[in-house]
Amino acid sequence: MTTATGTGHRAAAAAVLVVGGGAVAAASWVSGDHGFAVALVAFYVVAATVAFVWAGGKGDVAAIMRAGGDERQRGLDRDATAITGLVMSIAAIAGAVVQTARSADPGAYGVMCVVGGITYTVSLVLLRRRR
Amino acid sequence: MKGMSQGELAGVLGVSRQTINSIENERYLPSLPLALAIARCFSSAVEEIFNPDKEDMK
Repeated sequence: MTTATGTGHRAAAAAVLVVGGGAVAAASWVSGDHGFAVALVAFYVVAATVAFVWAGGKGDVAAIMRAGGDERQRGLDRDATAITGLVMSIAAIAGAVVQTARSADPGAYGVMCVVGGITYTVSLVLLRRRR
Repeated sequence: MKGMSQGELAGVLGVSRQTINSIENERYLPSLPLALAIARCFSSAVEEIFNPDKEDMK
């Protein structure tokens, strides 16, 4: 285990915003909503610029945005990711339950539940081999 | 930590100043490699610097 502060890359978070935002904007453009697509591009360009400037700082969040940081900062990122996954799983399960109660197709909620369950199981099996 | 600023110690160990601050204020228990590095930095044994409660080790 390394303890040193990883350098990371200042553009990491900005790149995620540009790629993710670009994909959503492209989907919106393809759907025919050109005005909304342009607005999304403008929003994500501003967000990516803010992220790039922020990632140049010295704080914990800046280090995590660079996908670098030391062991404590990586631990913070890992814990925040775990909490996010847990909350999203609960939301997906709740959504699937509500849809089923309405006699409707769970749809995307059901897919998220299946993907989450499979991902957790496979991750657990693989991680056990490493520790 | 005596005789050294948090920033200086962070620089020597290759971690952030915030991490040194968290260790010093007992909000964060470092990994064994980092604890050993800190102990070496002060020419001390790990147990002279860190004395976690048994509850923390569960």
